[in-house]
Amino acid sequence: MVAEKNRSWGMVIDTDKCNGCSGCVTACQVENNIPLNDQNKFERGRVMSWIRIERYWEGEFPNVKARFIPIMCQHCENAPCEPVCPVYATYHNNEGLNVQVYNRCVGTRYCANGCPYIVRMFNYWEPTWPEEIRNHLNPDVTIRSRGIMEKCSMCMQRIKRGERNAGDQLQDGEIKTACQEACTTGAITFGDLNDPESEVSILAKSDRKYSLMPQLNTNPNVVYLATVDPYKDKNLGEKAKTNEH
Amino acid sequence: MKVLIPLVGLGGLTTLAIISILLAGLFNAWLGQPLPVLGFEQTFDQPINFPHTKHAAPVSEGGLGMDCTYCHRTVAKASSAHVPAVELCASCHRAVGSYESEDLIKLREASGIFENAEDKQVIVDSEMASPINWRRVHRLPDHVRFVHSAHIDYLTNHPSAIGNVPDRLDLEGKETVPASQVCSTCHGDVASMEKVYQVEPLKMGQCVNCHRKNGGPTDCAACHH
Repeated sequence: MVAEKNRSWGMVIDTDKCNGCSGCVTACQVENNIPLNDQNKFERGRVMSWIRIERYWEGEFPNVKARFIPIMCQHCENAPCEPVCPVYATYHNNEGLNVQVYNRCVGTRYCANGCPYIVRMFNYWEPTWPEEIRNHLNPDVTIRSRGIMEKCSMCMQRIKRGERNAGDQLQDGEIKTACQEACTTGAITFGDLNDPESEVSILAKSDRKYSLMPQLNTNPNVVYLATVDPYKDKNLGEKAKTNEH
Repeated sequence: MKVLIPLVGLGGLTTLAIISILLAGLFNAWLGQPLPVLGFEQTFDQPINFPHTKHAAPVSEGGLGMDCTYCHRTVAKASSAHVPAVELCASCHRAVGSYESEDLIKLREASGIFENAEDKQVIVDSEMASPINWRRVHRLPDHVRFVHSAHIDYLTNHPSAIGNVPDRLDLEGKETVPASQVCSTCHGDVASMEKVYQVEPLKMGQCVNCHRKNGGPTDCAACHH
């Protein structure tokens, strides 16, 4: 008997630790059987990746700083993608995840139009892999065929496996998503937001926390931590100096 | 005005017959398994005839009474049941079994260690060793993730939920049963099948009914991800 657990899976991403190495993007690609992107797909703007790293430049030329934000499905509590689906292919489950049911999807793409984060990917083509990779696909993840929508599932297969192996004694941090495992700096943390002692919920209470596009009231389960600027005080000092002269 | 589809007389009867045959086929396919005609057979010839009756049936019925888990070793631990490697078959059948049997000769050759038919020399040829292309009988659609271990875990601890129990098994009042006694729920009494065929329709309705009865998860993402 699988007891109903009142879980809410969530993720905390520390943008201060992110150095933009794209390790998470590659790990996600491998874990979730995402077809490889070639130049043609980039040119057409039809790249498939469940997680992408957005880069922002800050400052003028000699003092330029690069800022990186990894963006994946935010698993919003008030998800704009859910009510627009005519076939209920995307819905919110009782573990706080926004689930995409591939076999229900008919490919209307309404959800992708509704998503303000642009993280839903549509399969415009039948997915193909080079011959040598074909046998390396993850057997725990469905291969999405042409004409259906897909997005980050927060590694649903890993959550299910973890729950199965642990039984009732699931420890915090036992389930790790692929991007979290691959992150060299440990910027990504995954866990149960409903458990007040879990690492994510402690991090999510930090002063640096923010969520993407809060004005839309989507209430995402992915929380970001703002960057800490080590040069902030120094810059202020310089400004103060220039003001003196 | 000319009527394209005849509705009265003999023509009407023929139309009715054709429509009812089509509808019967449709409902049959929708509700259960298709009738075993016109290539819809639920079983087929394997490259080597493997009689489950000889291996898995109890000794009283002329079998060897082997556990399902002896060959399908990962079934209680992993998601997939796995067909054993040829080495496992050959570990017994190098010596056991008739030397004239066509199937056993094929099996011994596939294992790479066999006796030459002419001069009775033992040949060890690793290049001859090759996996057998067994044909899969029970196949779920690609968008379903079925995990054997979780189901076997549950059924071994809840024998009352086991279905299709063969007559020779007595599960009354037992608290736990060995893993090899729960397979019949979905696979039927494989030990009495000369050729394995699919007993249950194995469609989503059947999965969900059983999950509802036994308190399993009915979240879509439990199986579709």
